[in-house]
Amino acid sequence: MSWLSGWLHELILVVLMAAFVEMLLPSKSMERYARLVLSLLVLLTMLSPIVSMLKGDASKELSLAMEQQERSGGLLSGTGDGADSLEKILADGRMLAEGARDQSLKLAAEEIAGQMRDQIAGSTGIRGVNVTVTLGMGPNPSAPLGEEVPVISSVTVDMPVAGAVAASGIPGSAEGSQPAAGPASEPIRITPVEPVQVSLDKDGAASEGSGAATGASQPSAAGNGTQEEQAAAVIEAESVKRLLEQNWNLDPDSIHVLSGGTSAVKS
Amino acid sequence: MEIIQVVGIGILSTVLILVLKEQKPMFAFLLTTAAGILIFLFLIGKIGTILGTLERVAESSGMEMIYIKTVFKIIGISYIAEFGAQIVRDAGQESIASKIELAGKVLIMVLAVPIISIIIETVMKLLPA
Repeated sequence: MSWLSGWLHELILVVLMAAFVEMLLPSKSMERYARLVLSLLVLLTMLSPIVSMLKGDASKELSLAMEQQERSGGLLSGTGDGADSLEKILADGRMLAEGARDQSLKLAAEEIAGQMRDQIAGSTGIRGVNVTVTLGMGPNPSAPLGEEVPVISSVTVDMPVAGAVAASGIPGSAEGSQPAAGPASEPIRITPVEPVQVSLDKDGAASEGSGAATGASQPSAAGNGTQEEQAAAVIEAESVKRLLEQNWNLDPDSIHVLSGGTSAVKS
Repeated sequence: MEIIQVVGIGILSTVLILVLKEQKPMFAFLLTTAAGILIFLFLIGKIGTILGTLERVAESSGMEMIYIKTVFKIIGISYIAEFGAQIVRDAGQESIASKIELAGKVLIMVLAVPIISIIIETVMKLLPA
């Protein structure tokens, strides 16, 4: 019975308002037209239970029709146009949202790379490392059914040339200040060749070290790449890797540490 | 007391216009328009009070806002069209005044189009096919 009282309530109010508004109208000439619209409103209110039974909420229907009329410039147009434009607007919205997401991912990646650089500098004392972070969308581990969240898909740490930094002594001068370190500042050329996977394995470290040592001895500015230096670089890289693993809760496979000396040779 | 003010403005401007009409008919028309706008602005606050009260009552009693919006649009269109038409009529352009009134009528009828369409659709659905 509540719908009946609500309906009566609304009907009485509309009729009262219509009578009141009719008095408010300025002239006789307008009165006929205004009275027509007001009587239509009263009629619609009387029919609203039937309308809601057949089509849904009467007032919602009316406001939708009014909006559509306003959008189409005052006259009713076909509903097909409206649906088309709605589709287009939704598609545009999705495209804009994707663009914004890509941009925010890029910004977040830069921010994370900066933080990692600071952490590496703070805990290991190595300056001038070049950190590249790639973010991707992945499932949220805390909410399996929820939306995708950004996850760190890979981290590439470009270590500066040990000898170069030691020689120059200026933090961050590994890139561009020394001829041997020049190629290291272009990670695009270096990374596809062969990212050096650093492991705790002594044999692997030794072989990598020796492989790097033969190359590192060729450039003059890289200094004399002895076995000890290379081993120290490997240990440094390992500590950086472990640091990132612990601090950022990352998969060790997604972290690539490129030693400056070796990469310079390989490129 | 406001009615005395309105009547005072009206009588004063009428006397001035009658005096001015002999010398400068153009300024007499301007004075007519200015007096009309003055009285209209004077009343617009009162109309706003009435409409605000209506809106508040409707809102508190849970009436649909779309009805109120439609009614307010009708009132606004008819007042503005009437005002403009009378100013133009005072200037002696009866035909333009009637065009303005026509525009007001058509715009009021356009407001009725969605309502009519919903009612007709409902009636058509009620009828046996």
